[in-house]
Amino acid sequence: MSLDYVKFSNGFEKFMPKEYRDMVEHGPFGKKVTVSQMGNFKEVLEEHPMCAGCAMTLFIRLAMIAFPNPEDTITVGTAGCGRLAISQAAIPFVYGNYGDQNGVASGLSRGLRLRFGDKPKDVVVMAGDGGTADIGFQQVLHSWFRKERFTTIMLDNEVYGNTGGQESGMTNRGAVLKMAPLGKKFEKMDMLQMAKVAGCAYVATVVPNNPRRVESVIKKAVLIAREVGSTYIQAYTSCNIEYAIPTDKVMEDAKAVENDRYQFTEYVSEEAKQYLTERYGYKEFLAKPAAPAAAIPGKA
Amino acid sequence: MYLVADINVEICAAKSCKLCTQYCPEANTIQYSEELGKDKGFKYGSAYVAVDRCKGCAQCVWVCDNMAKNYAIKMIMIDQLPKAALTENITYGEKSTTAVLASPVVG
Ligand SMILES: Cc1ncc(C[n+]2csc(CCOP(=O)(O)OP(=O)(O)O)c2C)c(N)n1
Ligand code: SF4
Ligand code: SF4
Ligand code: SF4
Repeated sequence: MSLDYVKFSNGFEKFMPKEYRDMVEHGPFGKKVTVSQMGNFKEVLEEHPMCAGCAMTLFIRLAMIAFPNPEDTITVGTAGCGRLAISQAAIPFVYGNYGDQNGVASGLSRGLRLRFGDKPKDVVVMAGDGGTADIGFQQVLHSWFRKERFTTIMLDNEVYGNTGGQESGMTNRGAVLKMAPLGKKFEKMDMLQMAKVAGCAYVATVVPNNPRRVESVIKKAVLIAREVGSTYIQAYTSCNIEYAIPTDKVMEDAKAVENDRYQFTEYVSEEAKQYLTERYGYKEFLAKPAAPAAAIPGKA
Repeated sequence: MYLVADINVEICAAKSCKLCTQYCPEANTIQYSEELGKDKGFKYGSAYVAVDRCKGCAQCVWVCDNMAKNYAIKMIMIDQLPKAALTENITYGEKSTTAVLASPVVG
């Protein structure tokens, strides 16, 4: 796992597919790319079978552009729609049983540290709301309490999308779904609060209708997880199939949901703020200069 | 037959805001070319669609109409496009891409 793993072996270049050659020569490896350069470089994500217009697909696309070092990143996933795309990228992908992603990522992240020492290798988990808040819940929380140093991203489409519309812990109260015909009887789980209680160093919510914010949040989460501790991003990534959103209205829905229950929130621990400032030159956490005291009339 | 997105170069090149590619769910589908529109005096190039990757969701149409307010993208039946960009005809350069347009439907 390094820049070398994508390069051609001598003499093989002419046998490689065009997409692969483009990715090696014009992809993001070893460079810094940003969302504003999209459309001008070859992305690591290739074609995949996720539904047309799926917001989760867009989020995964943006996430892969945001990884600070894609050539030194491993993604971990589980059953659910997202793995259909995450697995189709030039970034190694580990896929376990449903719900064990944070257990697998714990071992992987520790093993990489033993093998590569201080050279950062980033581990990023991306799993559905069912995989994160229901089936994988126990492993997710324990990895956070243990302060495992990797990023957990919940692809929250508020339903089990891959299996036809069962309610999850993240479905909203009252939502009627194909396989929850009477409507959900309980509230949406507050995973953000749980992440803070469990000691995550960074917790944020995002919606993919703001690509630059997705980029910024993912960069911070991955960098903080290198040294400080667990980081958690909860992304609203609607399922247009199970919630019957016309595909050309997916971004309109994202905007409405962002204004309603998915406003941007970001928690950064004091240690993480200091780390980002000192190590990576972030300016946003520096103390703001105090406003000059208002002149008092009549005093010189 | 099925619908794919088609970008009107002259309308896009007048603005060329690059928003649609940031919102297309599919990777490397809406690309940019600094060359497109240059022959007609436009400075910044235009977006274009690699139609073999387009899934026809029309999200880009919503973005161009409602966010860019430029109405440059229409959904068109793929066999009604005489020529279009296809992945195999796209070349990457240092900062931008170029595409040789070809018939998107074989046979
Ligand atoms: C142990 C186990 N139980 C059940 C399944 C079947 N299964 C596959 S995907 C899925 C639901 C996925 O829902 P979620 O995690 O919310 O992801 P989404 O598909 O909505 O992105 C289930 C139940 C499985 N693969 N393994
Ligand atoms: S079923 Fe829903 S979440 Fe899954 S790919 Fe389709 S639209 Fe996306
Ligand atoms: S959103 Fe419209 S104007 Fe902006 S780049 Fe795309 S097609 Fe051109
Ligand atoms: S129709 Fe959908 S898949 Fe096709 S270019 Fe537009 S946003 Fe991308």
